[in-house]
Amino acid sequence: MDSMILSKEKMKDFVAALGQQKLYAPQKEGETLRFSLLGEEDVPELDFSNTTVPPKDVVFPQTETLYQYELGGTDMKEPEGGEEGAVMGIRPCDARAMSIVDSLFSWDVDDPYYLERRSGNTFIGLACLEPCVNCFCTSLGGAPASTEGLDALMTDLEDKYLVKPLTEKGEKLFQKAADVLEKATEEDVASAEKLHEEAAAKVARNVDTQGIPEKLPELWEADLWKDVSNSCLGCGICTYLCPTCHCFDIQDEVEGFEGRRCRMWDSCMFGEYTLHASGHNPRPSRRERTRNRINHKYSYYVDKFGTIACVGCGRCIDFCPVNIDILNILTQVKEAL
Amino acid sequence: MVDLEKLRNAAKEIVSQDDVKYLIGWRDGTFGFRISPHFMESPEEADKLIFSPLCTNNLATYLTMAEKLPIPRGEEPDRRKVAVMVKGCDSRAVVQQLVEQGTNREEVYIIGCPCEGVVDIKKIEKKFPDVLESVEARWENGQIVLKLPGGEQSFPREEVLAQKCLTCRYPNPVLADTVLWDEVEVLGVEEYEDVKELEGMDSKERWAYWQDKISNCIRCYSCRNVCPMCYCEDCVLERLNPTWMFRSVNVAENTAYQLARAFHLAGRCIECGECERVCPVDIPLMKLNRKLYKEVQEDFQFEPGLDPESKPLQASYRPDDKEDFIL
Amino acid sequence: MSEQYEPNIVAFLCNWCSYAGADLAGTSRVHYTSNLNVIRVMCSGRVNPLFAVNALQQGADGVLVSGCHPGDCHYMEGNYYARRRFALMRELLEFIGVEPERFNMSWVSASEGAKWKDVVEEVVEKARKVGPFDQFRRNKINW
Repeated sequence: MDSMILSKEKMKDFVAALGQQKLYAPQKEGETLRFSLLGEEDVPELDFSNTTVPPKDVVFPQTETLYQYELGGTDMKEPEGGEEGAVMGIRPCDARAMSIVDSLFSWDVDDPYYLERRSGNTFIGLACLEPCVNCFCTSLGGAPASTEGLDALMTDLEDKYLVKPLTEKGEKLFQKAADVLEKATEEDVASAEKLHEEAAAKVARNVDTQGIPEKLPELWEADLWKDVSNSCLGCGICTYLCPTCHCFDIQDEVEGFEGRRCRMWDSCMFGEYTLHASGHNPRPSRRERTRNRINHKYSYYVDKFGTIACVGCGRCIDFCPVNIDILNILTQVKEAL
Repeated sequence: MVDLEKLRNAAKEIVSQDDVKYLIGWRDGTFGFRISPHFMESPEEADKLIFSPLCTNNLATYLTMAEKLPIPRGEEPDRRKVAVMVKGCDSRAVVQQLVEQGTNREEVYIIGCPCEGVVDIKKIEKKFPDVLESVEARWENGQIVLKLPGGEQSFPREEVLAQKCLTCRYPNPVLADTVLWDEVEVLGVEEYEDVKELEGMDSKERWAYWQDKISNCIRCYSCRNVCPMCYCEDCVLERLNPTWMFRSVNVAENTAYQLARAFHLAGRCIECGECERVCPVDIPLMKLNRKLYKEVQEDFQFEPGLDPESKPLQASYRPDDKEDFIL
Repeated sequence: MSEQYEPNIVAFLCNWCSYAGADLAGTSRVHYTSNLNVIRVMCSGRVNPLFAVNALQQGADGVLVSGCHPGDCHYMEGNYYARRRFALMRELLEFIGVEPERFNMSWVSASEGAKWKDVVEEVVEKARKVGPFDQFRRNKINW
């Protein structure tokens, strides 16, 4: 299927043409931008640099019920399977993060909850034309208009979007809305490509990851971990807002005689995360926790799945309350190697 | 008037003392307007120390944050002092910690920095978006001067000051072992306008307002961790038995969390505004804290963090406390 | 079926005064509404204000905390501390949008069986007026 044009004025018709299916898109909630289910009257908010909360919570919700039960009974009720839906306005870095995390959720045991949402949803990307100050996607194999993990890519051409379906799923979705789309001219395609290139050149920060994955474990006892973690508060901002962080905790929540088992995001920056029932904590301080976060992303994940679990979206740098900067840590790592 | 030379010399001297473990100050961050806490163990690192309108972090938090790792048998705990640089509001946090015996007076050395108000990072990044290079800033005659890549810019400080500074009544440290420069004038008066605006609504509107805000909470606990007064070793949030609040993220549990947090700070919050600053999803947490601050002031004529000899509000009483609400 | 709404009140009573007062009301055969679920605690000072939040979360429509009159506390000063805490908790709950009618405190001594009846009826009446609590009630576990 060829590229097409969606005029900005027709956005409402486009959303309506997609029909009854669920559509997630960035929405402003106060000052915060995050993905949420679009209501009937809502229009997706597509004029942004990036969302505060990454779209990972569409496929991997912060709290998810696995099953429900009654105390004393033996029956379990599982949630119904997901309907089909679409996620619109994902930045290429966040989409790439999903495809990185896919290998984890389908490794060893397939995770039906995650994979069902991954296959049931169509992911429509929005090329990044104005990278933020802390973006460094180009250093990690991504690009502001990367198509990895996406079913279609949109590019903002001022008064219209250029839509390029990439997979069968993407094509199917846009066929539903064929009436509101127009054919794209070669000129449009060319100007979009030019914008993509310009955007890639605008990414200001970078890091050379050459050699880091292999050598990071050698720095296990290095002084730098204490220096970089001194100011860490031990909060969950860097991990909860990270598009590739995927750790979860499973808990039973019982009220009266009804209970449910659910899983929720957990963060390796919390002391509780590794706390044993005996009271022993193998990662007793923020130094070990920070070391683990960096090692997991830049070394362990590479060992297991062959790719660095960081896409360079810059959220952990932007939102860290004490300016712990992952690029700064990596620079120090490079120096110490 | 801020004198960096004096600050660095004083820091060198303090950190060289035998009974000082390390000094906590501020240094330039890695990009834009951000600054980072600076942990200084030797005099050589003093040149990185700064004090500017960008120094928002309340360093008193770190006094209670050091992990208490098990001490090997036969070894004594390290009881040397931690030196900490404080603004007016931060010094109140230290005082309140002393009142509650969260910090030991013998183990802290307080370096007071009278402060003309720090910026709200969101406001300044809105005013000057996309600045990558680290920016220097200083106060000058009620103006804030920024050294931006394109040259110096100055503008009235009121434009970018944090809300807490616009209504700050304690810009000078209330307790310090050494004060680095002259005291500054009080800038603001507290009128509680935003709190009063909410109080004017009816319960339904108020709940709608808070529901909207609190439903955004992602429970990263940064507001708890950054708070200099939140230092319980065993927090109600982490308790599983009894489970005070579930870990699921929904309005009910988030509200219970925010109520617990705000309530545990009643009569203890010293209005440093750190919780609101760090919140990634912009929940106006200070409104809850300020509401309680206001009530504590009105009902009990009490202000926390001023007198190290005072008793904690909720661990004391007066026989004639107000009881008009009691049936 | 037009079932009349009956509020669900959780009451924390101190062992030495209010619980005995409620007991006196019972032994004196005073009639009053049965919407109250009584939890006996040793002292009103033992009641953590988060108990009230938790009760509301788990299904209460109103909360009542009752203790000895000031100066009469079995432990000398427990009710004074309770008074401070609940004054603040009440303000906080009101500020976040919980109707003040749902949150009550009373002093009832062991000899005030008749006052106990009045207190209970007032609390239930107030809760009935504002209707079921649904602000931060835990969702039914059903999805």
